[in-house]
Amino acid sequence: MFSLRLYQGLTPAILGVGLFLIMGAASLAALLRYSELSNWLGYLSQPYLWRVIRFSLWQALLSSGISILIAIPVASCLVHRRFFGRSFLLQLFSVSMVVPTIVAILGLVVVYGRTGWLSQLFGFQIPLYGLTGILLAHVFFNMPLAVRFLLQGYDLIPSGQWRQSSQLGFSRLSAFRLIEWHYVKKALPGAFVLIFMLCFSSFAVVLSLGGGPKSSTLEVAIYQALRFDFDLGKASFLALMQVAICTLFALFVYRIAPVNRQDVSLLSTERYILKDSFGAKASDLAAMLCVFLLVFPPFIAIFDPVFSATFFDTLLSSSLWKSVMVSLQIALPAAAVSLLLGICFGILARFCVGRKYLSFLPNKIEHLGNMILMVPGLVIATGLFLLLRDFGWGLQSSYWIVVWVNAVMALPFVLRALMPVLYQQERRFRNVYLSLGVRGWSRWCLEWTLIRQSVAQAFGYALLLSLGDMGVIALFGSQGLVSLPLYLFQLIGSYRLEEGACVAVVLITLCLVLFYLSSRLIGGQKNVKN
Amino acid sequence: MNKFLLKISSAALFLSSAALFSSASSAADTLNVYTYDSFSSDWGPGPKIKENFEKECGCELNFVALDSSVGILSRVQLEGKSSQADVLLGLDLNVMEAAKQTGLLTTHSVDTSDVTVAGGWNDTTFVPFDQGHFAFIYNSETLSNPPTSLKEVVENQDLRVIYQDPRTSTPGLGLLLWMKSIYGDDVSDAWESLASHTVTVTKSWSDAYGLFLKGEADVVLSYTTSPAYHIIAEGESKYKAASASEGLYPQVELAAMMKSAPNPALAQRFMQFILQPEFQSVIPTGNWMLPVVESSEPLPAAFDSALLPTKNLVLPAKEVAKNRKIWVDEWLNATTR
Repeated sequence: MFSLRLYQGLTPAILGVGLFLIMGAASLAALLRYSELSNWLGYLSQPYLWRVIRFSLWQALLSSGISILIAIPVASCLVHRRFFGRSFLLQLFSVSMVVPTIVAILGLVVVYGRTGWLSQLFGFQIPLYGLTGILLAHVFFNMPLAVRFLLQGYDLIPSGQWRQSSQLGFSRLSAFRLIEWHYVKKALPGAFVLIFMLCFSSFAVVLSLGGGPKSSTLEVAIYQALRFDFDLGKASFLALMQVAICTLFALFVYRIAPVNRQDVSLLSTERYILKDSFGAKASDLAAMLCVFLLVFPPFIAIFDPVFSATFFDTLLSSSLWKSVMVSLQIALPAAAVSLLLGICFGILARFCVGRKYLSFLPNKIEHLGNMILMVPGLVIATGLFLLLRDFGWGLQSSYWIVVWVNAVMALPFVLRALMPVLYQQERRFRNVYLSLGVRGWSRWCLEWTLIRQSVAQAFGYALLLSLGDMGVIALFGSQGLVSLPLYLFQLIGSYRLEEGACVAVVLITLCLVLFYLSSRLIGGQKNVKN
Repeated sequence: MNKFLLKISSAALFLSSAALFSSASSAADTLNVYTYDSFSSDWGPGPKIKENFEKECGCELNFVALDSSVGILSRVQLEGKSSQADVLLGLDLNVMEAAKQTGLLTTHSVDTSDVTVAGGWNDTTFVPFDQGHFAFIYNSETLSNPPTSLKEVVENQDLRVIYQDPRTSTPGLGLLLWMKSIYGDDVSDAWESLASHTVTVTKSWSDAYGLFLKGEADVVLSYTTSPAYHIIAEGESKYKAASASEGLYPQVELAAMMKSAPNPALAQRFMQFILQPEFQSVIPTGNWMLPVVESSEPLPAAFDSALLPTKNLVLPAKEVAKNRKIWVDEWLNATTR
């Protein structure tokens, strides 16, 4: 089993993962250089810090829990029913996470606010500012994301099981209990941890909808330390703290979660219809109602400016299209780099699967990729900036920093999309490939048709995330680097709220189009994966 | 497979085109000015000022746009001595002392005796380029009895208030100092009273102002010049700045030269240019602030309310720099009690 050539094939993957680790560690180290250990105790003794952490944990647990609880029936409904607008809904679900926060906040306000639709139509108003608002916003951002992750779990269910359950006349409930749940629960821990981390480090949403400094996150303190106080030491300490908390949480979840074990049977996209029942109808209706109440209205509010006169004026402005170009010039290479990194991680992780002394590794490798989400983009970028400065590369490299940081920030999403199918391929065909001596590039060529859909999704996510990025590019801004989200913020930052709303529509539409194109071009025409 | 290769190669193409990007230019006749994004945006004062300055200097003016005024400072702090920046445009009174202490700035030789900032101007590091006051803005169609003092804003429990976080935003810090200059040691009680009818405290000015325009609050913290934007750009006169009998806290935006400026001669020339009519006349309807020198042409009538005489409350820059963290903690403790 342990031949040297087997390990040689891993060299590029190890180099890729190594580059990621070295860059990450070096950036953090560049910041930590400015830190003094003696100050750390001082930071730790601040009661406000602990209050913030307690609140962050609480809201992140609630947000991710609720998002996932709603996502399970929604995913099940989307798998079993075909209805008009289903594929559009799935497309919409993929872009919810890149809606710029301020746009989403204003969208929520239009729906639930003091003079919003809810109060105009029903004369009913919910207390938006506080935990409710934060949860509403986080569910809007993350519930669709959770649905997409769960649907990936559904994709791993072999068609034979569906066929049998259809022949045996399973009800939806028993199908869920006996088949679906076993696949869903494998996707749950990863999705839960990812969404938890997103909510834990949420910034503008928590401040704006939180109703005061009682609602705050560590990220606010990090931003304050970096920008207002220029206290690099404190910023790096707080970033480490965030990494530690999220890592503990992730370890805890993975410990109680089932081990990732995939089936080896064949998959096909054929659909078997299960017996419908009143209960199934009711649960699907409830699930869709949640979507219609929580996700749709803010989207409608966001798309509302399409009908205004300003919209066409905005479309005619050349700066808009210039910023679209800049965004693409950042997002495309960032997505490519992210995908390459993701594949490196994937190859390494799946190599370890089921090997005697390495089988504990895959989850760890995956988590290594996820860690990046716990470190604020601003911290990574600042560290990298300091690091490059020490090498004497100044401003000229800012474009590359933006691309790199965007690429690594998208890595957790790429991994979520890529890993399940890579593991599955490994389990099914490892011995076949081994006995036939198929390795490296030729193996990829054989696998390509089977994994291209997931690759397409991974690339799509990375593309969208880099396109929607705001934080990193803002730090390295310059005249040539005005991306679409930055352009939007410039507009809103100088009273031009309406034009900003129109640019948001352009941004979201662009995301929808690119996600579709990426699944068409990479995923293949016949098997567009929704 | 081929399509995947195509994708990869097109990505590579993009990568190579990236070499075209470089954020600051270092040519001999180029002046690099770091500023905040809305200043250099197409609709901001930047393009016109660039045009005017280039006409007279025969050089190229290159704006490097950063996300906020504190962003400018932290950027040059990150870059240190290797910075390509010549001039920083967009610092303000509240970060003035902190900026000086970085040791990255040098003195200017501009005659600032004509500057109209209240109390005159004699700082040798900074040249002011525009001014205004922080104020609460209200919608006169929905709020019939607007507050006439900061005390009323603080104490009127029916008034729904939105302001910005002093930890992340310049106006937020402005309010912190405004409150401190009026309430002094009793500021904690005032903050607590304000917190009980605060809708929310946002990360940035845009979040707060956006929420206000959507009708979420009666008053929002902004500038005395905000109504002028609505009148001139939108023909909308319902938004008004609430007066404050105790006096208003000023916002003065500043420029300074870098010690390590690659092009010091041009930088000096630009510092002189700041107080010239070719710069100052662009400010009112470009940056929606007031100029800092008397101009021969009168300001548009929309600015009248911003020009009303008011008592100018201002805390000394040194005291602000020394106590800012303490005062922020004071605010935090009072509002999270």
